[in-house]
Amino acid sequence: MLRARPDGEVMSGSRILGLLLLAPAFVFVVLFFLAPVVLTAVFALTNMSTATGITGGAYQVTQSGMRELAERHGEQALADALARVRYTVDRTGIDAASVEGASTALVSELDRRLAGQSFDSRRELERAIKKLDNRPRGTRALKSLSALFERSIVNTRFATEEEFFDAVAGLGIELDATQRAALLATTYTGWTWTGENFSRMFSLPDTRRTFLNTIIYVFATLIVFNTGFALVLSIVTHYMPDRPAGIFRAIWLLPRISPPVLYVLLWKWLAWDTGFLSRILVPLGFESRNWMLDNPTNAWVFIVLINGFVGASMGMLIFSAAIRSIPVSLFYASEVDGANRWQQVRYVILPQLRWPILFITCYQSLSLLTSFEYILLATEGGPGGATKVWALAAYLTALNNYAGNLEYGYGAALALVLVLVGVILSLAYLRLFDFKSLVAPPPIEQ
Amino acid sequence: MRILLDQFTKSFGRLTVINKMDLEINDGEMIALLGPSGCGKSTTLFAICGIHRVSGGRILFGGKDVSNIPSQQRNVGVVFQSYALYPHLTVAENIGFPLMIRKESKAEIARKVDEIAELVHIGNLLERRPAQLSGGQQQRVALARALVRKPDVLLLDEPLANLDAKLRLEMRSEIRRIQLETGITAVLVTHDQVEAMSMCDRIAIMNEGRIVQIAEPMEMYKNPVSDFVAGFLGNPPIAFVDGVVTDGQFVTASGAMAVSLPFNDGARERKIRLGIRPEFFGPGGAQPVAGKITFVEAQGRETLYDVALEDGQILRSIQTATNTATVGEKVNWGIDVENILLFDEDGVRL
Ligand SMILES: Nc1ncnc2c1ncn2[C@@H]1O[C@H](COP(=O)(O)OP(=O)(O)O)[C@@H](O)[C@H]1O
Ligand SMILES: [Mg+2]
Repeated sequence: MLRARPDGEVMSGSRILGLLLLAPAFVFVVLFFLAPVVLTAVFALTNMSTATGITGGAYQVTQSGMRELAERHGEQALADALARVRYTVDRTGIDAASVEGASTALVSELDRRLAGQSFDSRRELERAIKKLDNRPRGTRALKSLSALFERSIVNTRFATEEEFFDAVAGLGIELDATQRAALLATTYTGWTWTGENFSRMFSLPDTRRTFLNTIIYVFATLIVFNTGFALVLSIVTHYMPDRPAGIFRAIWLLPRISPPVLYVLLWKWLAWDTGFLSRILVPLGFESRNWMLDNPTNAWVFIVLINGFVGASMGMLIFSAAIRSIPVSLFYASEVDGANRWQQVRYVILPQLRWPILFITCYQSLSLLTSFEYILLATEGGPGGATKVWALAAYLTALNNYAGNLEYGYGAALALVLVLVGVILSLAYLRLFDFKSLVAPPPIEQ
Repeated sequence: MRILLDQFTKSFGRLTVINKMDLEINDGEMIALLGPSGCGKSTTLFAICGIHRVSGGRILFGGKDVSNIPSQQRNVGVVFQSYALYPHLTVAENIGFPLMIRKESKAEIARKVDEIAELVHIGNLLERRPAQLSGGQQQRVALARALVRKPDVLLLDEPLANLDAKLRLEMRSEIRRIQLETGITAVLVTHDQVEAMSMCDRIAIMNEGRIVQIAEPMEMYKNPVSDFVAGFLGNPPIAFVDGVVTDGQFVTASGAMAVSLPFNDGARERKIRLGIRPEFFGPGGAQPVAGKITFVEAQGRETLYDVALEDGQILRSIQTATNTATVGEKVNWGIDVENILLFDEDGVRL
């Protein structure tokens, strides 16, 4: 008789092994997919930028901060008071005077008679100093002494809230609760949590434009090249003899496998005002210009061409393979049934390509949605933002722009929209393709 | 319609598959192109329907030379070995496809499709798709599609090869019935001699790109022009025995078999090949030869025997199942020499 096998142990052993083998995949998914998405979502809810940094900040009275305090919080008086320069004879100033070489007598007299006094202007302080017995001789000495007592918290960074309020109190300014809050909001230099990115996104006219650009970019490239031209290529090569067809396909694969930077450089060279197009067109009486960036229409034509030539190859390969998998007898049959080439394409090839076409459309719409590298290299979204698509806008906002103020938070919010659209589309597409396998009818035997 | 192949030649690059073939197919006739795999049957068929262009010679439909007319404009119906049904179309759409291409009216198409579907007995399947049909049903659809526009000639490329044995039997008679009912000229390509013999008016037997013999099935069976034809027709196949004949006396090289033949080429010794069909060798035969049974196959009504002569050559016999001989048994069965086929050493019938 057989002894019972310790199935449980074997099972759990193999399960652990399975989990171990899966671990790298888990790490990969978490590290390279989930974490970026989560971080994007987190950043999207902040106002992080180059100015705020991504670590904590300090408290600092700045000119722009005071303007904000006056204008948005209605605290004109407080803003003026904070921005004002004062002259205060304090310990620091007295010590500095002794170091600077003021006589011991003067130092002790300052300490005795003026310590703790505050003056609204330099002239008042100097007038007070002149009344001292041991006053410095000469205007220069007086000026350099009074300068030591100039006090202002403008542009001074305070690490904590406490230090900041102490300093404010030191200026003799009393704050109520709303003033404190307003002051914190206008002087804090670090990032804060906010939902403003999204309200800003939906209110900016720029967003609308970027959105429309994205639609133009995705649909034009998708329809004209990634599926349309790919279909034409695969059908034309199907009717060509094998060798030329192979060469033809290889040629159309070149843009895909050439380095993007070089590839776009070639296009730029083609379009430059001293480039290939100009060389040909100028003698014909056209004005020399940058054909790519001359106007938005041109820019779009170039963008669609640049991306389309790269994107057509994948569809071409998929469609070619699908056409090749159509039994040759179907072509023979349609021929003897009287179908000409065009009717063959319409009634035999295209119906068989329905799913490949759908697949390419779905897949490429996703990849176009997130790809901006060729646009970045070619027009950088120009001229004047005419070809700025959503992904590029997110990149320029958050990671790279001329102005130098990188708005991580707003950029992340833009990117998050892209992520959400992508996920929703992916799920929809997955359903669509799953649906297909469900509806495939089982064969009925006689 | 009468079809004529006149010096038809077909090459693929440097490989000449068919060389100067002549073939006449009479109006309303069903002819079989029979031959081993790779002998050029499909090539001939594809040339007739215009899928392959001829490399030389002419093909005539009626009196008209169609050699340079594309297949779209030749009025032919073809049933392919794989049926080649359009998978995305329903049965009705498949059958109506040639009419749709010709832009006939919907009503007209529907009427013709119904009519032909009745003929091939698939009237109840019109809304299905090919993937939902059995092999035999697909076969009928392919046939209907080939016939629907009343072609000048119906071409069938191994139409039964993909069917199981029972369906093959059924479709054999079905195709013949439909051909006779429509009176269409038909060419059946097959490597199965049973199909050729049972379905066709005449058989053109091919070997290595040429036609070896054209004849009615029984005539070809009884009077093959060569040992190749004799060997190709008949199941179980004919047995060949090589030897020499002198003064009408035949003997094999080993002397294991010696019979006197109704054939006298004089005293000169001559190499010869005997073809002995299984039905002409058995206990009732006139001239006995000694041998041992090496194989018995009971087929129900009949039983098949392989008998090894002393030198190992095999003769085959088919007998009604009343005989009870078993493997290993020594027998002394006779050959019906009147029905023996004689060939010279090159295989040509004497
Ligand atoms: N398209 C082709 N190109 C090259 N050789 C071919 C082609 N079609 C058939 N052949 C060759 O022609 C010969 C006859 O083929 P075929 O007519 O298909 O034989 P079958 O009698 O089995 O139908 C074979 O040797 C085959 O290899
Ligand atoms: Mg064949």
